[in-house]
Amino acid sequence: MTSTATPPRLAIPGQPLGPASRYRPGPGTHLHNGHLYASLLGHVRITAPARAPGPVKRLTKITPAPAPAELPTVSVLPPSSSASSAASPSGQEGAGAEQKQRRREVLPEVGNVVLCRVLRITPRQAVVTILVCGETVLEAEWQGVIRVQDVRATEKDRVKIYESFRPGDIVRAEVISLGDQANYYLSTAKNELGVVLATSETGNTMQPVSWKEMRDPVTGVSEWRKVAQPQPQ
Amino acid sequence: MATKHHVVLPGEPIDPSLIPTHPKHPLRLGPGLRHIPPEDIVPTVAGQLITNPAKNSMWIEYNSNRYIPSQNDLVLAQILRSTSDFYLCSLSPHTAPATLPHLAFEAATKKTRPQLAPGQLVYARVSLANKHMDPELECVHPGTGKADGLGPIAGPGCAFDVSLGFARRLLMARSREEGGVGVLEMLGGEEGGGLAFETAVGRNGRVWVGSESPKTVVIVGRALQETDRLGLGLEGQRKLVKRLVKEVK
Repeated sequence: MTSTATPPRLAIPGQPLGPASRYRPGPGTHLHNGHLYASLLGHVRITAPARAPGPVKRLTKITPAPAPAELPTVSVLPPSSSASSAASPSGQEGAGAEQKQRRREVLPEVGNVVLCRVLRITPRQAVVTILVCGETVLEAEWQGVIRVQDVRATEKDRVKIYESFRPGDIVRAEVISLGDQANYYLSTAKNELGVVLATSETGNTMQPVSWKEMRDPVTGVSEWRKVAQPQPQ
Repeated sequence: MATKHHVVLPGEPIDPSLIPTHPKHPLRLGPGLRHIPPEDIVPTVAGQLITNPAKNSMWIEYNSNRYIPSQNDLVLAQILRSTSDFYLCSLSPHTAPATLPHLAFEAATKKTRPQLAPGQLVYARVSLANKHMDPELECVHPGTGKADGLGPIAGPGCAFDVSLGFARRLLMARSREEGGVGVLEMLGGEEGGGLAFETAVGRNGRVWVGSESPKTVVIVGRALQETDRLGLGLEGQRKLVKRLVKEVK
């Protein structure tokens, strides 16, 4: 393993990609002992840095090593992603602003808006399973928890879980913490967060009436939910 | 005045002529009936169909073996253990325990709350009951803060098990006329010789009988259980009371 070798085109988890002095770690890689290793199985993509590194060698001057912003970024992308859409060489490294360079959110991060389904409710929290993170349908289902104090922003102590969620509801929530081994911690304490799809007790899909009520169009019975404000598309 | 009809089985279509109509009130369906749009009303349990044309309501009187908690029921619960914020109480054996918050008693603060030991009987109201969560109890009226007879049971006595249908008839406002149960009044009246006792009837099929004299507790408990088990009418209850008072004497 020489330090001048180029990284491989295909990587398996644990495969060494190059030293940290030559590349910056991107998505799908991790740093260990000053060396970059792949974390995922997929194609290796090297993105050129924001600005080209200045001249390094001068005979009469000792120049410091290139600043981290000038190093190319190496990332590993799973094969089902758009391997055909090549990264733009002008190198907006992972800013996510360009459609051609799709950032795959494989794991929910703090601040992501996710869609989840309620599994069960207890007086103190609602246990959910995270299905969609951002625009990406997750392959694995991660479990999350919406605590009773994170259901809404006002009157947190008088929230009743039975009047906010029911098992089977689809909820839009925001990740507030990566949590412990078992659960992410989610919050619906904003107007645009909350129940987006719910089924009534008689089995019909309900329509939102207000921020706390949904109505079954067939029977006319309304049920309490913490409803997400519909966003313009 | 409620009209009693024939016995229905689950899923059996109900004769439309039995469904009451009213010019002003909408039709109200009570326990045991389910409305399938647009027009079907279907029983979900086996029991006797009852209609009340005055209030435009109909329901089914049934006797099941398993108590399913519903909101605003009065129940006799037994404390199993205490956690940091609430007591875990058993409403019926081999079911999920109900939670009774520490502060859900009259005039309870963190410093002056009743300390209840496991095994203590409590007369409580079901504050939350649905199929997704464990039931929750309270011993205080949420609006006024008064106990209204709820709280831990004090005094010498014993709890007896009765069927759910019998407990419901005991809890009716006019149990003698509507429920056909007059045994408690008879025991305290002339047939029973004026026994002194008090009772707490739980909708979950438990009745607590309290009295200073253990003989009275035994008489009342046996009277209730035999009325329930044998399905006695008012005349049978009178004879039963007289027989029990004579036996124990």
